[in-house]
Amino acid sequence: MGVTHGFGSRTVLRDLTLSLTEPRIGIVGRNGSGKTTLSRLIAGLIAPDAGQVTVAGVAVAKDRKAAIRTVGILFQNPDHQIIFPTVEEELAFGLRQLGQDKTAARAGARAMLARFGRVDWSERPVASLSQGQRHLVCLMSVLAMTPRVIILDEPFAGLDLPTTRALRRYLAAVPAQIIHVSHDIAALAGYDRAIWLEGGGVAADGPADATLAAYLQAMEAMGDADADL
Amino acid sequence: MERQVTLIALFAALIAVLGLVPKFALASGIPITAQGMGIMLCGTVLGARRGALAVLLFLGLVALGLPLLAGGRGGLGVFAGPTVGFLIGFPIAAFVTGLIMERMRGAPVFPAAIIAAVIGGIVVLYIPGILGMVAMLDLTVTQATLSMAPFIPGDLIKAGLAAALTSALYKARPSSVLSRA
Amino acid sequence: MLTLTSEIRTPYHRIRAGAKLAGLCAATVGLVVLDSLAAMLLANAAVAGLYLVPGRAFLRAGLGLLKPVWFFVALVMLWHGLTGDLMAGAVIALRLIAAVALANLVTMTSRFDDLVEVVMWGLAPLARLGVNTAPIGFAIVLVVRFIPVMLDKARLLIDAWRARSPRRPGWQVALPITLVAVDDAEHVAEALRARGGFDMD
Repeated sequence: MGVTHGFGSRTVLRDLTLSLTEPRIGIVGRNGSGKTTLSRLIAGLIAPDAGQVTVAGVAVAKDRKAAIRTVGILFQNPDHQIIFPTVEEELAFGLRQLGQDKTAARAGARAMLARFGRVDWSERPVASLSQGQRHLVCLMSVLAMTPRVIILDEPFAGLDLPTTRALRRYLAAVPAQIIHVSHDIAALAGYDRAIWLEGGGVAADGPADATLAAYLQAMEAMGDADADL
Repeated sequence: MERQVTLIALFAALIAVLGLVPKFALASGIPITAQGMGIMLCGTVLGARRGALAVLLFLGLVALGLPLLAGGRGGLGVFAGPTVGFLIGFPIAAFVTGLIMERMRGAPVFPAAIIAAVIGGIVVLYIPGILGMVAMLDLTVTQATLSMAPFIPGDLIKAGLAAALTSALYKARPSSVLSRA
Repeated sequence: MLTLTSEIRTPYHRIRAGAKLAGLCAATVGLVVLDSLAAMLLANAAVAGLYLVPGRAFLRAGLGLLKPVWFFVALVMLWHGLTGDLMAGAVIALRLIAAVALANLVTMTSRFDDLVEVVMWGLAPLARLGVNTAPIGFAIVLVVRFIPVMLDKARLLIDAWRARSPRRPGWQVALPITLVAVDDAEHVAEALRARGGFDMD
């Protein structure tokens, strides 16, 4: 919802100005193109060296309190993302940080688990869950905070096809705006808009199908010399 | 055998990482450097001998010039300075912490770990630490102790946290807590 | 790999690490034995001179490494001032500065690999007694390799906290960081075993 930013940051992203309003936006690019930096900037986890990032009127880097209820971000690897040992604690954490007291947070966590039909996960240790199940826990943790914008940073890495499809279905039903960073085109099928980042700048930006097709073409035209080896 | 070596090596790395990340905050908001917790964890998780080896490995690398002490300090200079007593105390502290942990095998993890961490990580650590300051700075034991006294409440909290971490680790990866093996 | 070795080339870089360490021991003994203010002032001047040889930038780098010492210099002067013995305090403070600065000088002018060699050389007698010293060299490599990896993962976990909380990360983040250490140890051990492990001849 209305993300505007113009800045040059650490020469990873050069003088980028974007206004992101479509409900489903994909961001593609090769490794090192600046996608991850962009995702962190939108989440407010890093502040740009120049320029500013606002999400729904919130200056996400400066006003962290408002930022956490506005933007959520799902990272790649659940093992580098889940902090607490049990599922309920992990879900309740975000709610407590939003200001809810212990009881309300626990109730909120249970409610989220119920929505996904996983109430029995409440007391379960995260270590006992499978990889796909841990991905779901991460997703629930983000959704529990009802953000208006959700950033996905390659969230399906390493999952098998049925699990990926199931998670995609959950995400499709989410009312928040989704900004999905990926280098995998298939993950962005059906999106409204796609932005192709290359070397810190925008190589293409427009309706998803056309932009992704252009990106795919360019990727296939590249030889071994362009590989990230 | 390989697993023991890799655990020792990775816990040595853990001590460094806990000193190199930005400080954590306690519930009250007070920032703490987690490196001391790392030393205690070597004892409570790996046991006496391996815990001490992990700490010795860490210190060896510091001496070799890696900036692994909290704040990015390292090199031979830190061993020539007044905190050398504490550095010498680190592996001893880990050893005693691990020893107590191993002896208290029958008790539940958390209370055993907290006792081990307080006795090993604080009492045993401060003895060579304070003696080192006495020797290097020509202070009396009283003066040195008073100088270090403000750090003790923080260390007590770290001992509690190390115990909580050990207990949680035991639930998540019981086979990795070698002190209980 | 980030070590404290200075990138500024000095004539000291060429001296063998073992020789520098031996020199450091001798100099430190000298500093401890001598006890006059004059001796300490001379010693510090000499050390400063050693630092100046490679240039002012090197001296500044050396001063940077001395930062933690100033707190203790102040502490010493405070306590000795309170007991009316400032002169003794000054001697101790100067001795401290010289000793730490000399030790830092060795660190700044010796390459990590050279120092590891000295260590392995020192451990050789143990090897003759039958102790297997190969895992030690391996363990050193492992720690150096894994600190940046673990640091990256720790930072990811800290980001995961900051993404959901406006507050500074709490101690709970130490748990998944520790789990990373445990799990990576398991994976490396597996990889090692797959390649033969620590086969002793």
